[in-house]
Amino acid sequence: MAGLIQKTELMGEEIPWLSTLRKQGLEAYQKQGFPGAKTEAWKYTKPRALNADDYVVNTGKKQTDFPSKEKIEGKADVFEPLPEGYGIYFENGIFNPAASDLPQGVEVLPLIEAVMLRGEVKDRLGKLVDLERHPFAALNTYYLQEGVYIRIEKNVTLKKPLIIINHTAAGRENLFFNLRNLIVLEEGAAAGLIEYYHYSSEVKSRYFCNVVNEVFLEKNSALRHYKLQNEAFKAGHMALTIVEEKSGASYEGFCLQKGADIARNETRVLLTEEQARAEVNAAYVMNGWATLDTTTDIEHLAPCTFSEQLVKGVVGGDAKGVFQGKIRIAPHAVKTEGRQLHKALLLSDTAEIDAKPELEIFADDVKCSHGAASGELDEEQLFYMQSRGIGREEAKHLLIEAYLNDVISKIRDENIRRWITSYAHSSAGE
Amino acid sequence: MNKTPLLEIEDLHARVCDKEIIKGFSLTINEGEVHAIMGPNGAGKSTLSYVLCGKPGYEVTAGSIRFRGKNLLSMSPEERAREGVFLCMQYPVEIPGVPTATFLKHAVNAIRQHHCLPELDTMEFLKMVREEGKKLGIDAEMIKRPVNVGFSGGEKKRLETLQMSILKPALSILDEADSGLDIDALKIVAEGVNALRDGRRSMLVITHYQRLLNYIIPDFVHVFAEGHIVKSGDKNLALELEEKGYAEFVREK
Repeated sequence: MAGLIQKTELMGEEIPWLSTLRKQGLEAYQKQGFPGAKTEAWKYTKPRALNADDYVVNTGKKQTDFPSKEKIEGKADVFEPLPEGYGIYFENGIFNPAASDLPQGVEVLPLIEAVMLRGEVKDRLGKLVDLERHPFAALNTYYLQEGVYIRIEKNVTLKKPLIIINHTAAGRENLFFNLRNLIVLEEGAAAGLIEYYHYSSEVKSRYFCNVVNEVFLEKNSALRHYKLQNEAFKAGHMALTIVEEKSGASYEGFCLQKGADIARNETRVLLTEEQARAEVNAAYVMNGWATLDTTTDIEHLAPCTFSEQLVKGVVGGDAKGVFQGKIRIAPHAVKTEGRQLHKALLLSDTAEIDAKPELEIFADDVKCSHGAASGELDEEQLFYMQSRGIGREEAKHLLIEAYLNDVISKIRDENIRRWITSYAHSSAGE
Repeated sequence: MNKTPLLEIEDLHARVCDKEIIKGFSLTINEGEVHAIMGPNGAGKSTLSYVLCGKPGYEVTAGSIRFRGKNLLSMSPEERAREGVFLCMQYPVEIPGVPTATFLKHAVNAIRQHHCLPELDTMEFLKMVREEGKKLGIDAEMIKRPVNVGFSGGEKKRLETLQMSILKPALSILDEADSGLDIDALKIVAEGVNALRDGRRSMLVITHYQRLLNYIIPDFVHVFAEGHIVKSGDKNLALELEEKGYAEFVREK
């Protein structure tokens, strides 16, 4: 038996605080156990398929060869090319040293190096994660090693985005790998960050990619964070991003999920000081038997904080889309605004949507709203297009594209928008 | 002169939601002819237009429709459009999120492809739309907007006419093309329609009022009541109807 908990040799065992943190991760995971149907946070998305006993935990011992840049960056002949940026590469969850040259004011280190070389990492790593509430983040903490530390210095604005690319080319083995990224934007810094998860087309293994991002946005800093989850069709993908924002900071997040058999993208934002704002948008597009989950938890912990969420899904086949969105407003967080909207399009009778919006408001004088809607393609619109000679399938594509464009158009960077669009549309409605 | 039949409808019966609306309707339209169908509200005029276009929910229970000798009823709505049937709708549908230009380009190229013509690229397409649009008072701004979204009644009808001008159908069916139009807009639409009259293209003008027929002058006028044609004549029949109304054709209820 070699399940999710395995004894492995990790780097940095000699660092006491790191060992303690890993141990806390293990204990928290063992205490909770693997999430089952009775766990409220997992009642719609049942991850039991990920609880396999044949995983090979990848901690880098086996990773010696790294593929070419073309392979890493994906099929530019089918999709729009990856936007120009500073590449940070992972192969099967292991840091690939073929990184781009970086401009002044940006530090990018493999996480384990940063643990050894940068004292402040100790004060940040693990500080935002509630291990008792997030079983997969607890697992991730137990295996803490791979990942990247990114620090943007005070008042530095990055012109091009940083791009973390995780490419999976697992063979027959069912790899299990954990990625942990620590991202710090110092006061007044501004940057774009892309996370891109994809695979080589031959991959049919049930690999499991488990990611935790901890993001610290200091005063008046701004992060635009885009993610494209396009894992192999039998893969599992669990991701938790936790963002802590200080006064005047802004976080603009967008995630498109279109791959994997079972996946959750969870975003938790802590608006801890006045004038902090967050935009958390997402889209999911799937068919087959996949379950794709978008979970958000926005906590307004200070007055005059703002959040906005738009999530749109297109679900066909026997697939299932899950949205769990929470807005919490602390008692003293007056004059805050929190908005949330989830909409889904069902393309077949067997497709399923589960949506659970939640508002927890403990303050007066706040503006909060949420909404959820799901529906089918409009027959009148389809007929109108058909009556002009447009084939029914093509008409469906046009309507689905229009449906998704609503949220994708919120991506301000044109190159990134075009890149994401090419992926969203490629799978829509098939 | 030998006439070539374009549309042949024989003893058509059709129903919507189990209610028989069309009861024994027959009509032949030859190439180049303009027919007007006039009738009271509720006679089934719009149903006829939807049956011709293959709208789902409109069930043909008996009879046949041939278009250029082919069985129209066995074709999907898009096949009918590609073969040359066009319905200028009374209530054009709004499609949020789909730019008018994108919609038009897909339509033009779907039809060109069907006729084994090369697809138009964006430049060629925009040039054509600009030229045709200019005649109808449609500017570049309008075709950037989503299809019919926020368009006034007049703008919607002009967009329908633009589609007709660029798709160049063999048979244009105009369903209450004048509803919601002021006289200036009506003239613009009528000019667009008349520009397509080249002696080969045919029209079926469905209208409640005679007004439109002052601008699109028909070769034949038919009175449609209670599911079928009750009287046929030339353009003077329309004037007669305008004067006398439909009372003599409608059973007392």
